Amino acid sequence: MPRIRLPLPDPEKPPPGPFRPEFWRSPLRSPQLTAMLGLVLLIGLPAVALTGLLSNDAYQPGLGGNALGRDVHGPLDFYLFGWPTGPSWLYAFTQGAHVIIGLAVFPVVLAKLWSVIPRLFEWPPVRSPAHALERLSLALLVGSALFEFVTGILNIQYWYAFPFDFTQAHYYGAWVFIGALLAHIPLKLPTMRRSLALRKAVLDGAGPLASPAVDAHARPLTSPNPGPTTLTRRGLLTAVGGASLILVLQGVGQSVGGPLRSLAFLLPRGRTRPGPLGFPVNKTWIGTGLHRGAVGVKWRLTVRGQRTVVFTREQLLALPQHTYDLPIACVEGWSTTQSWTGVRVQDLAALAGASGRMMLTTVSLEQGTYGSATLGHEQVSDPETLLALRVNGLDLPLDHGYPARIISPAIPGVHCTKWVSEMQFQTVEA
Amino acid sequence: MSRLRARYGAGPAHLLVLVASFAIAGAAVVGWVQRPRDLEGVLIWFAAAVALHDFVLLPLYSLLDRITVARLPVRSAAYVRVPAIISGLLMLVLFPTILGFGAHREQAASGIAEHGYLLRWLLLTAALFLVSAFAYALGPIRRRT
Repeated sequence: MPRIRLPLPDPEKPPPGPFRPEFWRSPLRSPQLTAMLGLVLLIGLPAVALTGLLSNDAYQPGLGGNALGRDVHGPLDFYLFGWPTGPSWLYAFTQGAHVIIGLAVFPVVLAKLWSVIPRLFEWPPVRSPAHALERLSLALLVGSALFEFVTGILNIQYWYAFPFDFTQAHYYGAWVFIGALLAHIPLKLPTMRRSLALRKAVLDGAGPLASPAVDAHARPLTSPNPGPTTLTRRGLLTAVGGASLILVLQGVGQSVGGPLRSLAFLLPRGRTRPGPLGFPVNKTWIGTGLHRGAVGVKWRLTVRGQRTVVFTREQLLALPQHTYDLPIACVEGWSTTQSWTGVRVQDLAALAGASGRMMLTTVSLEQGTYGSATLGHEQVSDPETLLALRVNGLDLPLDHGYPARIISPAIPGVHCTKWVSEMQFQTVEA
Repeated sequence: MSRLRARYGAGPAHLLVLVASFAIAGAAVVGWVQRPRDLEGVLIWFAAAVALHDFVLLPLYSLLDRITVARLPVRSAAYVRVPAIISGLLMLVLFPTILGFGAHREQAASGIAEHGYLLRWLLLTAALFLVSAFAYALGPIRRRT
């Protein structure tokens, strides 16, 4: 059988412009620089991806309407385990880490892309089927990485400048990224290790500073026609590291809160209102557009189990009250821990004749996104899961969910329904 | 095996890894098309972002570098580049807050009308350039010792 030869362009004659190696003049680009940045990302990116998947798990999209319209029967719509309730700061920690590490590695991602950009203009564009597939995979990797970082960074700043649903796009985009990263790591790990070993050899005085090609076929990243050194490698790493550090401080400030909160001086969550009730809020009363009358003397809480029971706020206050320090932890990476007082959800279940393994759907007077949320049996059976009536020793203010709100350890803040009007206990099979 | 290597251009592990990767991406698209309008929005938004970078931002920052830093003496250019890169990266990441793009939503969410982000960014930028200027002034001394 005759071998099929594709009419390949002449590898020795690239068209003028970026396809010629001498077009790229920065003396900074080298396999060593790329490998050093790659090593940072090898640790940082899996950490961001993993904490992101944990957040999907914490939202328990398989329960009730928690998936916000996403059909959870697709091939990647699984969640691994029911979300635990302890330690109570678990979600504040995993989601704080997701946002902080994400902010930290974004400048490194940009520097890494800059360091390899001559490869985008390889000549010939395709050497073999293997090379073509690899370049396609790289397109997915770079595209999905930028997509994930940009949507995430816009979301934590309340600029919803995208014509699609954030949760769904950020979730499926993440899977494209994870898939491409899982291929990129094993394919490029040997190159990275060789480059780093070579750097060590150079540092040990074993060879000249000129970097030989580490990838047999690919054009070396080192410029054959370098311009003057207007920025050293140390200078570049200082710039990238400096930007990362300042961004990390922003993330730490809004996540740890307390005296550190003002570190987040360039993010929306760097400040709180004064007083014991001034802690951060995700949706204000004014933002709901509800009328004051809806939460006045006519307000009732309906609890549905084996039977239906209706409570006034006075009746709820007459039930045994419990106080716990619990965080509100937002998907945007900010959190705040306060002292909540109210009725155990377990006690309300018992009064409605519900028992056993149960999930709980809570309905708010406010019928927007997250106007309803479903808690799993782990949350329902935890004694610290409360229908809170007071916070920090005072009645809940309207912004924090008066007359009553849900608070439960280690769940995403938006599942702690405010202005609760109805609670539905449903038995689940073990 | 050697026929695969000759035709494909790499070993079987290479092919296997990439096929697995594309399978995951395909599964993500299967999930995504549950809302076809969403996927369409993503693709349009993505193409617009690429065009914005390649045709507006890239020429802009290249030109800025050409007419400013590239004209400086080699020795001092780095001391302008480093604070400029840090300040620029912060603006790139935080511009929705610094320029107030999300402010309306944010106020409805948090109940706080926060101003002054632009001033803070300018002050931070000034501080970065100041530190860099000190480092530049001290540089020759350190090199002598």
